[in-house]
Amino acid sequence: MKKFWALFFWFWPLVALYVCLIAPSRGWWFPSEPLSTLGHQIDGLFYLILIIVTVTFVGTQAALGYALWKGATKGSSQKAWFSHGSHKLEIIWTIVPAFVLVFISLTQLDVLADIRVLSKFPDSVQNSPVAEVMARQFEWRIRYPKPGTKLMNEPQPGDLYFVNEVHVPAAVPTMINLRTQDVQHAFFAPRLRVKQDAVPGLIIPVWFEIEKAGEYELLCAELCGWGHYKMKARIIADSQKGVDEYLTRLELEQNEDGVADAEASAE
Amino acid sequence: MENSKAFSLKNLGLGCLLTAAVSGCSEFDSSFAYSAKTESLIAEAQDGTDAAPGVKPTLDSRFGNPQQLKAWLKLPVEWGGASARVEAVASTDTEIRIRFTPEEGKSLPTEAGSVQFITGEGAGQTVAITKWDAQTGEAVLASLPEKSPASGDLCAIDGGAALQSGRVLYMRHCSHCHGTAGDGKGPTAEYLNPKPRDYRHGVFKFTSTNDQSKVSREDLLRVLKYGIPGTYMPSFLLMKDEELHAIVEYVRFLAMRGEYERKLVNELASDYSEKSVSDRLKDEKRSDIVQELNEFLKDEFPATADSLGDELGEVWTAADTEDAKIIPSVPRVPDSPESRRRGRALYLSSTLNCADCHGIDGAGNGPQTLAFEKNPVSGELYKEAGLHDEWDNLNQPRNLQRGIFRGGRRPIDLFCRIHAGIKGSRMPSFKNTPHEDIWHIVNYLLSLQFESEPGAIAAAPAAAAEAAPAAAGD
Repeated sequence: MKKFWALFFWFWPLVALYVCLIAPSRGWWFPSEPLSTLGHQIDGLFYLILIIVTVTFVGTQAALGYALWKGATKGSSQKAWFSHGSHKLEIIWTIVPAFVLVFISLTQLDVLADIRVLSKFPDSVQNSPVAEVMARQFEWRIRYPKPGTKLMNEPQPGDLYFVNEVHVPAAVPTMINLRTQDVQHAFFAPRLRVKQDAVPGLIIPVWFEIEKAGEYELLCAELCGWGHYKMKARIIADSQKGVDEYLTRLELEQNEDGVADAEASAE
Repeated sequence: MENSKAFSLKNLGLGCLLTAAVSGCSEFDSSFAYSAKTESLIAEAQDGTDAAPGVKPTLDSRFGNPQQLKAWLKLPVEWGGASARVEAVASTDTEIRIRFTPEEGKSLPTEAGSVQFITGEGAGQTVAITKWDAQTGEAVLASLPEKSPASGDLCAIDGGAALQSGRVLYMRHCSHCHGTAGDGKGPTAEYLNPKPRDYRHGVFKFTSTNDQSKVSREDLLRVLKYGIPGTYMPSFLLMKDEELHAIVEYVRFLAMRGEYERKLVNELASDYSEKSVSDRLKDEKRSDIVQELNEFLKDEFPATADSLGDELGEVWTAADTEDAKIIPSVPRVPDSPESRRRGRALYLSSTLNCADCHGIDGAGNGPQTLAFEKNPVSGELYKEAGLHDEWDNLNQPRNLQRGIFRGGRRPIDLFCRIHAGIKGSRMPSFKNTPHEDIWHIVNYLLSLQFESEPGAIAAAPAAAAEAAPAAAGD
């Protein structure tokens, strides 16, 4: 029975190792391949941490199993050795994890800066957001500048509005301004690996480069009230031409005076 | 749908606690609540007498309950399903095979779950279909109907399927605010301001139809798709079109049910409410009153109930016709400072008198917002000062400086708001105002948000021309 516990604690690191090895090919970690440029960096960090954690887990479990095994096979006449109060050991198990944490925090600094720090954003997107995404309970309201003008923080005459659907160009860096009208929300596009809180009173620039044209899910990732679950929208990545055409269409629609439409249907 | 979810969770075998909790949620019967006015009738008028049914049985026989919806064919609701005729019947002791032909100009559905016989011997029976061949139209019925149908009988395949799917979606996405019966009293409603719409009046605020018309399907669909900014009504843009259409039909069904209930009760309320009966008891005997009610329910009420249904069918059908739709007689007047100035003059004029409610600067703070109004039904003063809507909620005029327009921000949306008014609210219809003038006001309203100070209309036409590219391009 004594040996059972040693085997028990040796068994789990093997399971963990196996799961870590097969998980990527099974798609257990992520909803999909990263589909934005930042996504690759973020996934890289995730895998780095995963490796560190796996090595640590396997190592500590192996040591635990070893201690149990030794205890189980020792004769009953031998005295136990107590490590409590050993300065040497305490220094080791403080400094080693500290080094690991400092290593992680230094390694991720560049990626974090790329995501969050405006001056590190690609030059082409700095100060040129394509749209304002306004979160509110429980929908995403989008405001585009009038084609040919720049997006201002305050609504301007000719701005275009839509809800729960944001069109952005694909394959080029794109920036949006994230705001909220009421409580905290979070702009979360799982397949793009973009997640940013929207904080009342702040205008938060968010950038991403979607690699392929297509439709991507946009969710709220901050419990914002009873309707949080229905706060879902879509990001549509298209060629620049496609986005421009969409905005022209939207502009026509928004200036609809009900007469041209009626004439067209009468013909 | 709720059932299937519960079932899959059960399969996980997560223990009896979870199973109990989930099945507790999945199995319950909901009902359509009756209006307060119905409940204010005496019991005999509510439930009917031995001789004839009262309001509640009449209503239930025509609309059913959420589990068992009824299709009252007088009403213009797309119930779903396909109508077909029986072509041939081949029955043995154990099974019955029927070949259907579609009604002219229609086709048979690719899948079929049940068939309801409408005419002939078997009329009124609903039987499940076990095997369906869409090519030949041949079906094997799950059980033998009591009375065998004959060839030529009219029947509905999967009748009411669309309405039922609308109900499922409505219960999941809408009922927690708008309530099971569409009374705007779902569990969440208590915490919301403005209050969710109570459909039972059959009145919807934001329509593209004339002031006397009901809401059109298109209007409801628009509200579902784009939400109502400035309220808690969110956008359901991501739902599939057929899902949205199903919800629209179900909402119309609920609205018609509620409106029909109100009309039925009105036939009885003046004489047979608890209050009026207690007044009448001073010089009449209760048994006489019940006898009188009995005769009314037997002789007049059924015909009245039918004709009310016909009327309802007519007005709701009319709402979806071209005649009901507001079409401006002139295109939008190009936006310009002149036009805006004109609009502001009209806004302030004594004939239109917009400022009386919306305020001189459009901030929604006109003198009427401070007046105490009388409840038009009870004749008593409301407790709070300000304007009230048909649902007795405080409903203050819109602050037009915010740039939030609940019914939509397109010029045509604002045109419709002015032309038809906002139904159920104190915003009246200005249908007699020349359409050109309405466009001037629309131009002014759209520019209000950008005024540097109240009443300051931009002098530079360049900025104005930019604001209306489509109009300027005409």
